[in-house]
Amino acid sequence: MIAFYDTNLVLIQATLSGLVLALAIQVPLRMGVFSFAGAGSYGIGAYLSAILVLRQGMPGPVAIAVAVLVAAVIGLLLGLLIFKLNGLYLAMATVAFDLIISVIAINGGDLTGASTGLYGVLTDFTTGQMFALTVLVVGLVALSERGRMRRRVDAVRDDPELAASLGINVRRYRLVAFVVSGALGGLAGGMNVMVRTAIGPLDIGFGLIVLALTMIVVGGSRSWKGAVIGAVIFTWLPDVLAVIGEWQELVYGVIVAVAAVFLPRGLYGVIVDLTKWLGRIRRKRRTGGAEQPVDAPESVEPERVELDNTLSREQGGEVARMAAQSEVS
Amino acid sequence: MAASIGDRSVVSTTPVLEAREVSVHFGGVRAVEGVTLRLEPGLIHGIIGPNGSGKSTLIGAITRLTPLTRGQLLFDGEPYQGIRPSAMAGLGVARTFQTVRLLPDLNVRDNIQLGADAEASAKTRPRPGWYQRLRPSVSPAVADAIRRTGLEGWEDYYPSELSYGTQRRVEIARAISMNPRLLLLDEPTAGMNQSERAEISRLLRDLRDEGLCQLLVEHDVQMMLDTCDYVFAMNFGELIAEGTPADVVQNPLVQEAYLGRKGRQHA
Ligand SMILES: Nc1ncnc2c1ncn2[C@@H]1O[C@H](COP(=O)(O)OP(=O)(O)OP(=O)(O)O)[C@@H](O)[C@H]1O
Ligand SMILES: [Mg+2]
Repeated sequence: MIAFYDTNLVLIQATLSGLVLALAIQVPLRMGVFSFAGAGSYGIGAYLSAILVLRQGMPGPVAIAVAVLVAAVIGLLLGLLIFKLNGLYLAMATVAFDLIISVIAINGGDLTGASTGLYGVLTDFTTGQMFALTVLVVGLVALSERGRMRRRVDAVRDDPELAASLGINVRRYRLVAFVVSGALGGLAGGMNVMVRTAIGPLDIGFGLIVLALTMIVVGGSRSWKGAVIGAVIFTWLPDVLAVIGEWQELVYGVIVAVAAVFLPRGLYGVIVDLTKWLGRIRRKRRTGGAEQPVDAPESVEPERVELDNTLSREQGGEVARMAAQSEVS
Repeated sequence: MAASIGDRSVVSTTPVLEAREVSVHFGGVRAVEGVTLRLEPGLIHGIIGPNGSGKSTLIGAITRLTPLTRGQLLFDGEPYQGIRPSAMAGLGVARTFQTVRLLPDLNVRDNIQLGADAEASAKTRPRPGWYQRLRPSVSPAVADAIRRTGLEGWEDYYPSELSYGTQRRVEIARAISMNPRLLLLDEPTAGMNQSERAEISRLLRDLRDEGLCQLLVEHDVQMMLDTCDYVFAMNFGELIAEGTPADVVQNPLVQEAYLGRKGRQHA
């Protein structure tokens, strides 16, 4: 066990920061906000906490806390700027935000270490602390997938108009998505730089978006469990695939493509569908094979309204007949 | 409306909701034009009118989802046309939509609970503690709405497993679990058979007898005659008649709105 831990320490650390990064992208997606700003927040968290340690001599955990706070505030400002955008336009704006962070990192001179980045970020932040923080964060995200919060997030994502009619302030939820994404991204970046002791422009590029999306798409985009599955697979898979050498990239790509096409809700979605299916069978058995619990009358599909855009002559006649009847009564 | 309506005598009080000269235009389309109406406490109001006459747009305007071009809206005598759509639930306004709008990933119970959640967060009522918000609980309002809409036994089903008529009942249940003061129903029984319609009509009249003010849009004239206390008729975005259901269906303008359109189409 200890031996496993020691030889795979780097992979364990990468799994934890990958998971939190995946959540930074997944949480807004789950709320219907197509934001990839979490990758930029990762850069902010990593660089800012490294700078605070190197320049201000801050302890690791404090530097992380400050970085998370700043990343969350920047997330809020970004949200206020672009939350009215939707779909592809929102996605593009957040990708631009990520690119801007990369450009700042490369052109930040001594402060960011330019193209070499920052190294020698030595603190007493341990992998154990990293694990504890990750568990805490995953727990908080898991709570948002339960009860009232889950229902409301579902409504905001699937039907904002309906959500509004149910008293949900959709705009506020969308802003919260930006803030949470910023905080999670900042945390992932901050923790990673503390245990890896170095950060460079190549660590925060476009690849982060691809990595996080891969984890979510294959693992499952609707639950933290999907993010965990994805983070584990895509941190360890490259290591496993290293055996097959140059074919590694190809196998990797095929797995992602197959998942995207055949498992629209990822591996976790398969589990969910299975439980639903089992529930249906159990209900059927309980009701003795009948699909419906009560003797519900057969419903007809909506017949006319949408198709035939006027009342028929017969129905018009019905108005007259009713009128006559009501005269009598 | 201070006179006696049918056998229900109406005292002139502050209406629950009042629309004054409300217009909604979409570019050149005058979907709603200068509509003035009052919804009185404890009555079921109906809107009839041919397709495209502006019934749904009027409901959208009243619930603030559709911006007004002109006009004034009052709830309990207070103007409210500046508030956010999401604040309507806080006033006690619940609605259903013309198309079924259930959340596919939530079962029947959770879909209905969304309405009770709104009630719980309305400003006039005590806010739930954080522990109550996280606990997956079923409010009494939900159990009640399930019973009243005859959905017992369906609680664990998902919308895709339900017949169209049952889906519509879930929508009605969600709206009434908000424990509203005003209920707006846009063709709630479309796609239901006769006996299901009769059940819904019964339910709405029961709710009225408990004092709930309602606005009902339906094409089924018999159902409107059976259910409503007061009916508005619309054509081309304008109110063309109002009064008791029997009077309104007899109104020559209303007759012409239904028959005339068809005639024009054939011409
Ligand atoms: N968002 C929109 N943009 C443009 N035009 C619209 C919009 N919504 C409605 N309309 C138009 O406004 C008019 C009124 O539509 P509305 O849906 O309110 O009618 P309705 O009386 O509810 O009809 P139905 O009985 O078919 O439901 C129609 O001509 C419709 O095409
Ligand atoms: Mg309509």
